[in-house]
Amino acid sequence: MESQLLELLREYFPEAEHIEVTGFEPIPGGYSRETYRFDAVVTSPAGEEHHPLILRKDPPPAVSILQTSREIEHDLIEALRLHTNLPIGRSLGHEMDPERFGEPAMVIQRMHGNSQTSDLFHDGPDVHHADDVMRHLCEVLVELHTTDVSKIDPHGRLADPRNAGIDATTWDTYMETTVDYYIRSFPTINTDPTMTFALDLFLTLRRDIPRPLPLVLVHGDFNPANFLYEGGKVTALIDWENARIGDPREDLGWMTTMDILSNTNVMAHPVDEGGFLAYYNKLTGFEITQDEVDYFTLFGTANIAVPVNGAIKRRVDGESVEFMPLYLVQSSLGTVPNLLRLLDYPGVPA
Amino acid sequence: MNTSPSIDQMLEGVLISIGNDILPNVVNPKAAASAQMMQSVIQGIRQLLPVYDQYLAEEHNQMMEVLRDVAGAIGGSSGAAADRIRERAATLGQGDEVPIPIGRDVLMDAHRELGFALQESMIDLDELQRAGDDAADAGLEMIRGHFGPRIVRDVQTFLVGDALLGRG
Repeated sequence: MESQLLELLREYFPEAEHIEVTGFEPIPGGYSRETYRFDAVVTSPAGEEHHPLILRKDPPPAVSILQTSREIEHDLIEALRLHTNLPIGRSLGHEMDPERFGEPAMVIQRMHGNSQTSDLFHDGPDVHHADDVMRHLCEVLVELHTTDVSKIDPHGRLADPRNAGIDATTWDTYMETTVDYYIRSFPTINTDPTMTFALDLFLTLRRDIPRPLPLVLVHGDFNPANFLYEGGKVTALIDWENARIGDPREDLGWMTTMDILSNTNVMAHPVDEGGFLAYYNKLTGFEITQDEVDYFTLFGTANIAVPVNGAIKRRVDGESVEFMPLYLVQSSLGTVPNLLRLLDYPGVPA
Repeated sequence: MNTSPSIDQMLEGVLISIGNDILPNVVNPKAAASAQMMQSVIQGIRQLLPVYDQYLAEEHNQMMEVLRDVAGAIGGSSGAAADRIRERAATLGQGDEVPIPIGRDVLMDAHRELGFALQESMIDLDELQRAGDDAADAGLEMIRGHFGPRIVRDVQTFLVGDALLGRG
């Protein structure tokens, strides 16, 4: 793979006289893409430059959890870098031709900062930075949610990046067609009768639609593992593959779910502002209630549950032999009691 | 309890992953041997699990019978040892035999059939609710009352650790 990578890097650094790839190794923990870290040492007439980079490569379709496009992700990242001040690493380019790496891939800048965000919580070494980091994280999210979508997505490719029949023309059509997508997808995730609670979740979302808010660009996987920090600042918001047009409350709801799964406590900070939601409301004026966050916790969970459980079903049905989907059967259980509570299931302890 | 993926499917997945993901990357021969031993033990567990409860029950009942048969065989013998054998036959060898559990596959199929019937009922209740039938609310509450405690028990039984591995 390294020789193919060198070929690609020569396209990205056409002025280079010599390029060397060092420290090429897989990054563990990526749940949807295969990721590799490396340094590119580029020698040109101007001198020698070291570029910390990451190769993000699609897994084979049968084992892919999220079917997303590296081309769209690349274009989004570069548009965000051009039109916002969000901390995002550069995307050098994408290779959609599977001939080179076996599957589509992209090369992105490896940003500095601590990715072990669990260090900010409980007895972690950076717990004293938690308030400042989450304050900045909230400000970053607000900037994302208040960015002019027409500049970031002029061709409307983020309205329905999964080609799921979602119509983001208005908030009403977005909600209706998205929930319809969840319900329509249920047979593709229905591995076991216990998935009845997921069906219940989808049907409840359709019955209990909340008040509208303006559609915005949502990160789509806003969770404690998708930012880096240094000192009291967020140095990078990463993993943009599930970004799309949506309701801003989706990111808040998904973070609530992932706080539970990650054993973190992002939503409780900054404490002096009354927590993440209160500070978000202060900055945006959206006046989002906890009930609305609860609804979008279910909504955001559904958005990820459909592709994740689809991968589990394909594994159970024997379409792949990857181990990850089986691990997800176990590891995703941690969030289920909270979902049942939000759905008012009797007999579920608080 | 989940029937799909089954316990056997998950163990099979571990076996495959040891072979595909771990063994090719193990350079220490002793570690490689340990991984192969793990595969052997896991495969053995896969073979044990479907018959374990059934064999225990069968063997329990057979041992009761053997205790009685042995006492019968030494029916004419006397002395303390013979008395102890007759005593065991009269106590442990008597009483109710334990029921033989039905095969796990049969049980799982029956369990799944009922579970999917509840799922279909939930779809019908949603149709009634959206048509304004308030009685459907009570029906939904009953299905939730069944699944809620059951799923929480599954979570408590199967979940390990505080967080997703490999995430920040």
